[in-house]
Amino acid sequence: MGDQKRHRILMVSDFFYPNFGGVENHIYYLSQCLLKLGHKVVVLTHAYGNRSGVRYMTGRLKVYYIPWKPFLMQNTLPTFYGTLPIMRTILIREKISLVHGHQAFSTLCHEALMHARTMGYKVVFTDHSLYGFADVGSIHMNKVLQFTLADVSQAICVSHTSKENTVLRSGLPPEKVFVIPNAVDTAMFTPAPEKLSHNEIVIIVISRLVYRKGADLLVEVIPEICRLFSNVRFIVGGDGPKRVRLEEMREKNSLQDRVEMLGAVPHARVRSVLISGHIFLNSSLTEAFCIAILEAASCGLLTVSTRVGGVPEVLPDDMIVLAEPDPSDMVRAIRKAISILPKIDPQVMHLRMKKLYNWHDVAKRTEIVYDRALGCSNQNLVDRLSRYLPCGGWAGKLFCLVMIIDFLLWRLLQLWQPTEDIEEVPDFSLPNSECPEFKEDGSLSLR
Amino acid sequence: MDSSINENPSPTRPRWRKVAYGGMQPGFDDNHTDETFLEAMVMNANVVKRSMLKVMQDSVSISQYLCIVALVVLVWTCTLRSTLNENTLLLLDVSLLGLGFLVLILTAEMMSLNLLFHYFINISFFTTGLYVSAPIYQTLTRSISSDSIWAVTVSLLILHLFLHDYSGSTIRAPGALKNPNLTSCISLNASVVASVFIASRLPSRIQVFAIMLFSLQVFLFAPLVTYCIKKYSFQLHLWFSFGLMVLTLAFVYMLHRLLFVLLLGLLVFVTVVCPYWLIRIQEYKFEINGPWDEAKLCFDITE
Repeated sequence: MGDQKRHRILMVSDFFYPNFGGVENHIYYLSQCLLKLGHKVVVLTHAYGNRSGVRYMTGRLKVYYIPWKPFLMQNTLPTFYGTLPIMRTILIREKISLVHGHQAFSTLCHEALMHARTMGYKVVFTDHSLYGFADVGSIHMNKVLQFTLADVSQAICVSHTSKENTVLRSGLPPEKVFVIPNAVDTAMFTPAPEKLSHNEIVIIVISRLVYRKGADLLVEVIPEICRLFSNVRFIVGGDGPKRVRLEEMREKNSLQDRVEMLGAVPHARVRSVLISGHIFLNSSLTEAFCIAILEAASCGLLTVSTRVGGVPEVLPDDMIVLAEPDPSDMVRAIRKAISILPKIDPQVMHLRMKKLYNWHDVAKRTEIVYDRALGCSNQNLVDRLSRYLPCGGWAGKLFCLVMIIDFLLWRLLQLWQPTEDIEEVPDFSLPNSECPEFKEDGSLSLR
Repeated sequence: MDSSINENPSPTRPRWRKVAYGGMQPGFDDNHTDETFLEAMVMNANVVKRSMLKVMQDSVSISQYLCIVALVVLVWTCTLRSTLNENTLLLLDVSLLGLGFLVLILTAEMMSLNLLFHYFINISFFTTGLYVSAPIYQTLTRSISSDSIWAVTVSLLILHLFLHDYSGSTIRAPGALKNPNLTSCISLNASVVASVFIASRLPSRIQVFAIMLFSLQVFLFAPLVTYCIKKYSFQLHLWFSFGLMVLTLAFVYMLHRLLFVLLLGLLVFVTVVCPYWLIRIQEYKFEINGPWDEAKLCFDITE
């Protein structure tokens, strides 16, 4: 193998622990696996309540909670240049070689990538969501994304559909975009020790109850299924604005004993809810990649999902039944799932999932992207500015102006707070006994 | 590795598949861009190809309404200058009401005697209410200077024209399917407030009542009447608009030359220049649809 170059990566996003979600888990698991591969990983995010300053997590993952409060939907206030001083300090102190930003919706990520490019670091961006093109919010978001990705070294998307969407939104050449999907921690999501009986079929739904996740489809589908099959029960976990509609549906059709509403399920309890069921139902209207489906498949549940976004790419055809986002088609899919349920063995499905999805594999593929990014040539300011001009008639010039001001502020900062005055963190290696436990088959168990 | 990758007996590498499971596909990099990339993208699926004549005909609704508003402003100006006295105004009101009813009877499909009687009762209540509350309007803006009133009225009228629903009517016609939306309600309210401001500048109570009745009749019911005419016969709608435009231009010419030139310019802009401009910039329209779109629910959500 030879001595692989050791990277020093800074992960930046507004979304990190103590929040739980797709992006947060992705950053955490990816960082842990990269640490295991011998790289150095530092995470940068905003303060959560009182949680501000430097924290250490499992495997000595260092997290900087910079003292900026979130102002809208977990995002910090975009001040363009406000984060430059602290970013510069962190980049120099930790001797970072590469900055990896996550999620197009995170303002901290965009700012960090802009500053990193000004200071000459290589950047990688991962996009986790799908966006439209037509409404006002999407148009502005896509313009911001175009600005950030005009000068990125490499980009990563979590599914092929997401790659197409990102390429169209940002105008990146497709060769610059890598497709590296998310994975699931199969050691945490194991099936029930004993196979459940098929006398009563339990369908599990765990999602935020919002319009985007198809809660309205659930309101149409659940009474129909309860009417057609007398041995089917539903367990609905999660909370949100549409919970009221589901409760109303339950009252109107007298399904109190057949539909159980659990409310918000904390992440640690998700597995125990999943293993009490046979089928997992996902009714989202849009998904770049659906980790919930992976968790359900890892617990041995058969999945029924809407055919949207990147969902058809996630699981092989015998582990998932797809339906159009239409109530009658979803009823047909659930009927088919119930009929093939006897052939499903949860343990076999779990073992297959172990081979199909693996965080270590994701980390290795990401490492290849990092190597590519670091191989990109350095460019001075004038060359980089020429990349921003094609972004638009007015926008190109505005973006150039923003970058020039950033450059000038950086120079000013170098005079005011010289690089030599910033203390660098010494490297020290961890004795083996303190590593997190990693099983041989590649699954990660985190204590 | 996933066992369902199809392997050929010949030593060529397996085909690339658009899947996310199974790790890196053998023989392909993660940034491999297949020929099927963007295969499912659909461009300009819902874009309507427009013809110049059709767009010009559709723009007639806008210029017709502009003329109606111009006529209302004309009547206001004449009343404020005391060119029109209250008897003329009352006569105008009654004749407009009668004409409106006539048009509704002739053009509406579902007109029954019961419905007509219902409308008549509503109009009587409305008129009585206006007459009773006329003294309130008379003294409403006594302490405000005239300049402010003219400025506010002009701004409100511009807001009204900007947000107006030119394709239908905020007052639901019998058989109309569309619900009025927020902007059309705002525009209606703006026009009503403008009428109240103008009415409050008049000296006598009868004048206030007459001008309020006139303004409200036109702003509330003119869109309904023109919608019924348009639904009944498009030719009639075109002739009516043309006649209205000629009438308006004639009256404005008699009043003030500059305003006549402005109005003529505006009508030409709306009827000729804007359709041409729209068709020119339609070439740049780029609507993208594909599997990444958020799915649309095919049923209505009833709360």
